[in-house]
Amino acid sequence: MVDSQAMLDKVWFILPEIWLVIGAMVVSMMGLSGTRLVRDAVPVVVCCFLAVAMAGIAWVYGDADRLAGIDLLMPQLGPYVKMILCAIGIVLAMLSVGLIDRPLEDSLKSGRARFDPIRTSRGEFFAFFLLSLVGAMLVCNANDLIWLFLALELTSLPTYIMVAISRPSVKAQEAAVKYFFLGALAAAMFLYGFALLYGSTGTVVLTEMRDAFAEQAAGDGLNRLAIVGMILAVLGVSFKIVAVPMHFYAADVYEGAASPVTAFLAFVPKTAGIVAIILLLGTVGWSGHGAPGAGGLPQPILVTLWMISVLTMTLGNVGALLQRSAKRLLAYSSIAHSGYLLIGVIAGPGMGINAVLFYLLAYGVMNTAAFAVLSGLQRQGEEIESLDDLAGLRHRYPVMAVVMAVAALSLLGFPPLLGFWGKFSLLIAGIEAHRMPLVVIALVNSAISAWYYLRLVGLPILAMPTPASESITHRPVPWARVAAVIAALGLVALPLFVNELLP
Amino acid sequence: MTWLWPALLLLVPLAGAVAIMFAPARQAKWIALLATTITFVHSVIVAVAFEHWHDGGFDLEAVVPSLGMESMGIAVRFGADSVSLLLVLLTTLLVPLCVWGSFSAISRRVKEYYGWLLVIEAAMVGVFLARDVIFFYVCFEFTLIPMYFLIAIWGSSNRSRACIKFFLFTFTGSLIALAGLLYVAWQYAEINAVFEPGGGSHLSWTFDIATLTSFAAGTLSASEQRWVLVALMAGFAVKVPLFPLHTWLPLAHTEAPAAGSVLLAGVLLKLGTYGLYRFVLPMVPVAVVEYAPVIAVISIIGILYAALICWVQDDLKRLVAYSSVSHLGFCVLGLVALNPLGAQGAVLYMINHGLSTGALFFLIGMIYERYHSRDMAELGGLAARMPVWGFFMVFFTLASVGLPGLNGFVSEMLCLIGTFTASATAEVYPGRLGPWYAAAAGVGMIFAAMYLLMMVGKVVFGPLKEPVVREPAQGRALPPDLCWREIGVLIPLAVLCLYLGFQPKPVTDAAAGSIETMLSAYPQEVRRYVARESADG
Amino acid sequence: MHLAEVNLELYIPIGMLVVMAVLFVTANMVLTHLMGPRTLGANKDVPYESGMNPIGSARKRFNVRFYILAMTFLVFDVEIIFLYPWAVTFAKLEPRSPEATLFLARIMFFIATSIVAYVYAWRKGVFRWD
Repeated sequence: MVDSQAMLDKVWFILPEIWLVIGAMVVSMMGLSGTRLVRDAVPVVVCCFLAVAMAGIAWVYGDADRLAGIDLLMPQLGPYVKMILCAIGIVLAMLSVGLIDRPLEDSLKSGRARFDPIRTSRGEFFAFFLLSLVGAMLVCNANDLIWLFLALELTSLPTYIMVAISRPSVKAQEAAVKYFFLGALAAAMFLYGFALLYGSTGTVVLTEMRDAFAEQAAGDGLNRLAIVGMILAVLGVSFKIVAVPMHFYAADVYEGAASPVTAFLAFVPKTAGIVAIILLLGTVGWSGHGAPGAGGLPQPILVTLWMISVLTMTLGNVGALLQRSAKRLLAYSSIAHSGYLLIGVIAGPGMGINAVLFYLLAYGVMNTAAFAVLSGLQRQGEEIESLDDLAGLRHRYPVMAVVMAVAALSLLGFPPLLGFWGKFSLLIAGIEAHRMPLVVIALVNSAISAWYYLRLVGLPILAMPTPASESITHRPVPWARVAAVIAALGLVALPLFVNELLP
Repeated sequence: MTWLWPALLLLVPLAGAVAIMFAPARQAKWIALLATTITFVHSVIVAVAFEHWHDGGFDLEAVVPSLGMESMGIAVRFGADSVSLLLVLLTTLLVPLCVWGSFSAISRRVKEYYGWLLVIEAAMVGVFLARDVIFFYVCFEFTLIPMYFLIAIWGSSNRSRACIKFFLFTFTGSLIALAGLLYVAWQYAEINAVFEPGGGSHLSWTFDIATLTSFAAGTLSASEQRWVLVALMAGFAVKVPLFPLHTWLPLAHTEAPAAGSVLLAGVLLKLGTYGLYRFVLPMVPVAVVEYAPVIAVISIIGILYAALICWVQDDLKRLVAYSSVSHLGFCVLGLVALNPLGAQGAVLYMINHGLSTGALFFLIGMIYERYHSRDMAELGGLAARMPVWGFFMVFFTLASVGLPGLNGFVSEMLCLIGTFTASATAEVYPGRLGPWYAAAAGVGMIFAAMYLLMMVGKVVFGPLKEPVVREPAQGRALPPDLCWREIGVLIPLAVLCLYLGFQPKPVTDAAAGSIETMLSAYPQEVRRYVARESADG
Repeated sequence: MHLAEVNLELYIPIGMLVVMAVLFVTANMVLTHLMGPRTLGANKDVPYESGMNPIGSARKRFNVRFYILAMTFLVFDVEIIFLYPWAVTFAKLEPRSPEATLFLARIMFFIATSIVAYVYAWRKGVFRWD
């Protein structure tokens, strides 16, 4: 019979997630309502649910006794990651206001069409939005491979549909199909890795796996199967964080999806993936199993991660240099940032993981700010994509131009913006873990990235508007622009609270 | 709240910038003038109240609570010795003059312009007052953004290339310098790691400049010091700029608006030499002793090379820009002479160069405002049209050339004497340079006299040549000769040039104490190095 | 259990089962071929020996609603199957114990999601046929 107390304890910990699932159900119903007011209230309800969930997280994790009873590999990940997911989720929800069903709503308003539930998809979009967030939050609570797999898939599956319905164009559908098939391939890959891990330890529970690995390490070293399994699993999960062997979809998918969804893709699955990698590596430990005398991960895994990190930042930054499309550029920049994140992962517990979590927060805010600018603008109802469309943005939308510049400088890691403190703590973590070459490569990459981030600063503020960019207008709904301003203010003001924000 | 006293030097300009954001465009320049003047007065009060003018000690030390990263030992830590304070005074003097001098030149995006001038003042003052490596780095980097926009928005035709090159050069350089500083901080943290009774340990990070400096000088091995030296030089040499890394400077100077050039030459280049003074020399003495001749040779190449390039320039601004490269070479030379004379010369040179070259850029800006040209082929004999301008032009050129009685002479001589006496056999302060180095650099002085006087000869004297002004000056028409406002901008600079020419003692005395502390380890290091060299063969 | 240490002998029964299955199928096919009666003719070759004449192409298109309905049926069918093991376990629990409450709460949540899905499908017009 199951131990009911342990079960109940676990339920406590996922109360915020259960609450958000209820939110997803409510929202999917509201989207089908015949009253426009109810349909328009969907994003508001989403934000309310997320805000309550934040309070719930604070309450659930506020009780130290409750935390003591839970058997998790890294319980400290939970509150921080869930908090930033919900907080940035609210901003992302603001971005998505007025994105779905815009033509339908317009024709309803003008009386040209009658409401037909089958043609609307706003409720579904926001329901999937919440479900994906729930998936990412559940990754933090994973204590076995099955849960981890399900949570990762819960993060990803809704995003495939979100990409497809994000805008009525063939490009989005193509992006969704690409994303789906490659996602399935990645899932197969890390599932295979999980199977090998199970095969080599005889358990799927992460804490038991850790003990099994410790035993193996104390004996004649780690099982080879375990190392192969771990590498496969990490490579598979690196699809979620757009790291190098699995990064190639990023540009196409990010370009195909509507900007708010791209912002979502660049943050939520990445967070889930990074947390999953941390949990997986946590079983092997950074304590040097299988590598006698040396601290750190087992050699083959370390080398793999090292190479992934270096290739990811370098290819991301070099790829971004060549782009003419703002969204593709930000896609490659997202790849590069995953490379930086992996420095902290390699550095390991303590400073490394703290830095990764802090960087996720910083990256979430600055990435959202950059995409919020793109989301707030349009050309005759179409997305703006090319970098040239941003030329001279200052003349028409000065605030948006400033937000773009601030976001780009923060992504570059320019002091004293939030991105600088994030990158700085990653570098410190790398140094503490004696990974000086990695740190130097990251610095070189920062210097390379200055070139293309400067374009994002220069074009909106300095360039003269072109006939093409003159035809840019803002979206009828102001919320994306409000979100942009909020995120930019966060980038400027949050550095004042670095002490409080560091986990 | 003791931190508020030094912090006001940053906060007042920043508050001015915020005020400008919300004020109407007409008021912007007055707000900027008010804020910068208050800052200047404040800095003078701070300087008068300063107690360590002669002993090289630090004052104004204060930490802003709850900012930074406590777990990493990063804080907003203020503090100034006499040299920092001199440079703060130079900054707070130049910025209001820049604001005042721009009244007629800027008619486009006025609010942003004055806003950026105020922001850059705060950043520059922050660099000189910082006693924390990260705070220093943040301010050091942040000077880039206002300058980037000043060049990119109000610059002339080739501005976009200039500002990108400027940004990429300095950004890359300072990232490498940051890597070097991080390495030092890490070594400190590792060696002073706290071992807990449970068996764990945690590193004790600090970014306090004083702690790291004495640690690095005392503990780092020779090869570590070498690497740190290379990293730091990468950052600061770009800023100075030293010879192969100077290519961004003529471009940036030429394209920047007049006030931008003044600040660039007057203060931003000093960030590089100040970095050498504050970090390189005290932190890595062993490596500096080893590489002093190399740095000196690079500086001398810079002095001669830039001087030769000046000779063939026909763009006034570019000429003065290259002359800055040449002049700053003397400054670095004085620093690596490793004796008090040279270092005092270098500190004095930082001030003097800021005054006289700053004034030259103002003067060229005034010409440009009237004729929209800086081409020496188009301009000539302007003394006939603008006698007052001509007077100031000759005056500041002579100050820059190093005419005895004006400020440039003293500092140049001190740098050269420092270099001359910096031979290995010197009694008190042995060095690694010597008469040959001084002779080579002295040739640069002669070159400087030639190209600057040729420029004056062409532009100020001779037959009158004026370009046809296609468009009238924007806004109010300027009188043919300088107006009272423009003269008012130049007078303080001229007075200071004259005063420091006759009476450089206040500055050199003030710098002496601080320099003595900085150089205290050197005589021994040099002797040890020389002894080892001779033992090796 | 480490995979590397797996004893292949454990798999002998499975192997035997596979061999038996293959043998069974081939034996049957061979035997019917050899022993079965044979009648040949035109009527023997038509798809339906009952006498129905096939009309039109076999690749007929179905209305998409069939698929949607079939999928909806499948989803709810599987959900109902979940109830069965739940009910069996629930019967064994001590009444009014925390376990039982938790069990009840879980299935209630599960049924609630099913109802939401049902209402959603209804509202979307899955059951409408016009």
